[in-house]
Amino acid sequence: MNILKKLWLTLSTPSKAGVGLVLALGFVGGVVFWGGFNTTLSLTNTEEFCTGCHEMADNVYQEYRETIHYSNRSGVRATCPDCHVPKDWTHKIIRKIAASKEVWGMLTGIIDTREKFVDHRKSMAMREWKRMKDNDSRECRNCHNFEYMDFSEQGSRSVKMHSTALASGEKTCIDCHKGIAHELPDMKGVEGWH
Amino acid sequence: MKKIMIVLIAMSIATGAVAQTKAEIMVNNGGVESLRGSAELDVTRSADKHKRVLKDREPLQRNYVHQPPIIPHQVRGYKVNLNVNKCLSCHGWKYARETGATKISPTHFETREGMTLSDVSPRRYFCQQCHVPQVDGRPLVENDFKAVDSLSQYK
Amino acid sequence: MSLSRRDFIKANAIAATAAAAGIAIPATASNLVTDSAKSKIKWDKAPCRFCGTGCSVLVGSQDGKVVATQGDPDAPVNKGLNCIKGYFLSKIMYGKDRLTQPLLRMTDGEYDKEGDFVPVSWDKAFDVMAMKFKKTLKDKGPTAIGMFGSGQWTVMEGYAAVKLMKAGFRSNNIDPNARHCMASAVGGFMRTFGIDEPMGCYDDFEASDCFVLWGSNMAEMHPILWSRLTDRRLSQEHVKVHVMSTYKHRSFELADNGMIFTPNTDLAIANFIANYIIQTDSVNWDFVNKHTHFKKATTDIGYGLRPEHKLEQAAKNVASKGKIHDMTFEEYKAQVAEYTVEKTEEISGVPAKKLIEMAKAYADPKVKVMSLWTMGMNQHTRGVWMNSLVYNIHLLTGKISLPGNGPFSLTGQPSACGTAREVGTFSHRLPADLVVKKKAHRDIAEKIWKLPEGTIPGKPGYHAVEQNRMLKDGKLNAYWVMCNNNMQAAPNMNEEGLPGYRNPDNFIVVSDPYPTVTCQAADLILPTAMWVEKEGCYGNAERRTQQWFQQVKAPGEAKSDLWQLMEFSKRFKIEEVWDEELLAKAPHLRGKTMYDVLYRNGNVDAFSIDEAKELNDDAHDCGFYVQKGLFEEYATFGRGHGHDLAPYEMYQKARGLRWPVVDGKETLWRFKEGSDPYVGKGKDFEFYGKPDGKAFIIAAPYEKPPESPDEEYDMWLCTGRVLEHWHSGSMTRRVPELYRAFPDAVVFMHPDDARKRNLRRGDEVIVESRRGEMKSRIETRGRNRPPVGLVFVPWFDARQLINKLTLDATDPLSKQTDYKKCAIKVRKA
Repeated sequence: MNILKKLWLTLSTPSKAGVGLVLALGFVGGVVFWGGFNTTLSLTNTEEFCTGCHEMADNVYQEYRETIHYSNRSGVRATCPDCHVPKDWTHKIIRKIAASKEVWGMLTGIIDTREKFVDHRKSMAMREWKRMKDNDSRECRNCHNFEYMDFSEQGSRSVKMHSTALASGEKTCIDCHKGIAHELPDMKGVEGWH
Repeated sequence: MKKIMIVLIAMSIATGAVAQTKAEIMVNNGGVESLRGSAELDVTRSADKHKRVLKDREPLQRNYVHQPPIIPHQVRGYKVNLNVNKCLSCHGWKYARETGATKISPTHFETREGMTLSDVSPRRYFCQQCHVPQVDGRPLVENDFKAVDSLSQYK
Repeated sequence: MSLSRRDFIKANAIAATAAAAGIAIPATASNLVTDSAKSKIKWDKAPCRFCGTGCSVLVGSQDGKVVATQGDPDAPVNKGLNCIKGYFLSKIMYGKDRLTQPLLRMTDGEYDKEGDFVPVSWDKAFDVMAMKFKKTLKDKGPTAIGMFGSGQWTVMEGYAAVKLMKAGFRSNNIDPNARHCMASAVGGFMRTFGIDEPMGCYDDFEASDCFVLWGSNMAEMHPILWSRLTDRRLSQEHVKVHVMSTYKHRSFELADNGMIFTPNTDLAIANFIANYIIQTDSVNWDFVNKHTHFKKATTDIGYGLRPEHKLEQAAKNVASKGKIHDMTFEEYKAQVAEYTVEKTEEISGVPAKKLIEMAKAYADPKVKVMSLWTMGMNQHTRGVWMNSLVYNIHLLTGKISLPGNGPFSLTGQPSACGTAREVGTFSHRLPADLVVKKKAHRDIAEKIWKLPEGTIPGKPGYHAVEQNRMLKDGKLNAYWVMCNNNMQAAPNMNEEGLPGYRNPDNFIVVSDPYPTVTCQAADLILPTAMWVEKEGCYGNAERRTQQWFQQVKAPGEAKSDLWQLMEFSKRFKIEEVWDEELLAKAPHLRGKTMYDVLYRNGNVDAFSIDEAKELNDDAHDCGFYVQKGLFEEYATFGRGHGHDLAPYEMYQKARGLRWPVVDGKETLWRFKEGSDPYVGKGKDFEFYGKPDGKAFIIAAPYEKPPESPDEEYDMWLCTGRVLEHWHSGSMTRRVPELYRAFPDAVVFMHPDDARKRNLRRGDEVIVESRRGEMKSRIETRGRNRPPVGLVFVPWFDARQLINKLTLDATDPLSKQTDYKKCAIKVRKA
């Protein structure tokens, strides 16, 4: 009994030094936590991390390697997070929290075989297209800024679409540019596809 | 005419179990050029330059009425498979006006038996069996084919 | 007189231009077509010049030149469709470097093997050629004379060539390039069914529920059949497509079940399926008991290399390789039981689940399955076994000779079936499945040909690969190459082909429309008429014989292979080619030429020139309707023997007919009662190629390939074709549109393999095997995606010559080369 009481007293009436210590520890802890959080966050924002599990490495990554965002004339690349993770902090955190679902998916093996992956491809793709459509293809525009597009350097087919539907805001990037980095699922019923 | 002398030392193809007579062989094309040009047959030619498909061009004129049009643009990454047909998302009748693409021909709606379907006939599904893109490069050999008068502007 | 290369090219260009003169019509001011003659095009049918599908095209000509081609809407094969090559047929004859004059190597006006090519007259060309052939005959006898022919010869040309070689020169050293493509298929047919060529037909495409591609890439190699298969798959939801290959290619685009297997392990996969059928009790016992025997192949038979090769020395049963032993079902069952799904997955690398999915389709009696294959299975050191292993599956389940249900061996050349196989232009064959080894068969041929008994030698001649070896060894000295480009096509060019052709003891004649790589190694080049510049027949993969008329004239002095064969035969008195012993049996032939003996025998010259078209140069040169005469004499072999061809007139009108044509009716499914007139009443099925009407189920195991990647040569090389080019590209690469569609051969490689070697797409590389090297460029994306450890290189590119690398290992049974696997390494150039 006595021991408990004594402990309670010590804890309930902290000395000034004690308060300082707690604050200091808290600050250091906070810095460490914050730094660690951000480091972890940026670590999870790399191509290596994203393709660290076989679900990504064997499926989407292989498909992406054939595409222009992987290898191109100038070597300027868009890696997984450039398209799939927002750049600004708020959206990034929201996306990261949503990503915990993907961790769960990985742990439970929702797409741990090629067949399962193919079965889920459409729902996963639809989700990503919806996200991009809702945010007006924000991640595309991080690099492909409409303001600075030089139509005189674009192919005639691109100019036609970019100067009309894209310029007016009637269409957004993802409306046309589906399947540019990964294979497409069955596109039956998807607007703009046969 | 440059002749290249090579001594083909009996290439006993595997173990050398049997020694064959040494034969002196003259490799000499006698001045005839094939598609490999005048490079002698025992020469390892340098690989030709990688050629690129032109990004976007005006539709190319045909040599004759039933020639399938050549694809005048790049098709990198354009998939046609069980899931999707990228070509039709511009060249299909539903989208052609909007995209400015050439509409696929009405013949493409016909079955083997000549019945017209409401959509593209599945026998025509794989576009690149008949339509191909072109690299920017000069032919190895000129071709003297002449189109009929009404189409003969073709170059 | 010596002509420099530039002069030579100029001379050819002028000739070509002159030939084209007269076509240009001055433009009129009006844009209205007021002159009906001007807009008129003369249309006629012809089979396509390229693959074995046998599409029919309509050829439009105006003022003596082909001006257009289109798919023939009336043709059952293609119903108006062509692939990109077929659509550009109109241009294949007009490459600027068409050969228009014979060219002979000369120095100071005399033939000289080391001389430069000089244009000569046909007379001079044949004089020198005849002299060389006569000298060879005199010095070494008929076995030193040889000919390498073609599955692109017309039926008549192949037939005339067989007569010239086997009966005229009395040499069996005639083999077609079809040895490179269909010999294993033939071996499979003969061993399993006792009669060559598929039982089914293309109508199977519209009736099948399931397609299994055994190593075939139909999407590129048989595009029109692929369109029929696609049509079926996309319009019927239940239809499934299984695709097996050693790398991913365009046919995987339609695959429900795509499988990449380790090279050579298709042997294990086929055995697994048979095992699965037995284990799941899916054997069609009624069929098996009534119509099959169980047999066992002799194993450990070597790899068809030169006899001194260590692998041949090590193989136990080279001498008895062809023997087939009896076996009970229980023994068969025990042998295939080894191929469990686990073991097969381990050997082949194909996931068990995928293997089972495919095996289920075969096992399910309700699913109609069509198996399809070409070079993947035929160009295989165990190709004959492989063909039979697939037949085993169909025989075990009774899925054969029924609409939509059956194995189908596709062909690569327009007349691999019609000319090479049916006419029998092989070193061991005669028309209609007869073989030179059997006296009774030789007797039949000699009788039809009105020649004395004993004319045809009984010993098979040199097959394709052996011909190159014998040229190199100096045993084959007078050699005629027709209608193919074998310097580029044959394996191991550095060690066999090139030293063979350039051997100073040899005289090599090459007949071709264009200056090919083979021409560059020749001593005499003969300019050749092609395709619709002559009349002929082709036979496609579904036993369909198709005829066409000459539609334009050949340029300059170019002449058809048929004319060349017959004209050359006039240069020999029969006494110069036959010995006294044979002449004594036919004294009435003394003093005649080979031409008289072989082609003016009352059969070949039986039809009047009046029956021939006005535009038929070969017939008018002969003075009789030579094509019809040759065809009718040839048809005698098969009529009444299961190979019945219709009268020639019927082919002139029809879009081809599938043999046997009995009472004017073609046969769609052979060996099945009601569909095949040769099947006895009440038999249901009858495999009448075998004496008791029963087909063989022939057990054969998985065996290792002759050469596999090791530490030094660390990758597999697989060679093949691409959609836009056909074979060595001598026609298609002269069509600008086709050239620009696929300009140069590339090395298709997995990106990981490229990175490991510090290579990028487009980098120049040296590809090297134990036999040779070539330079090419890396392609890491695009239509072919090989797995890690394998590269695919097309062989059309004369500028690269991948066959400097390939191994001349063959199937010891079929003598067909395995172009699909050897060990190579790739490094930066």
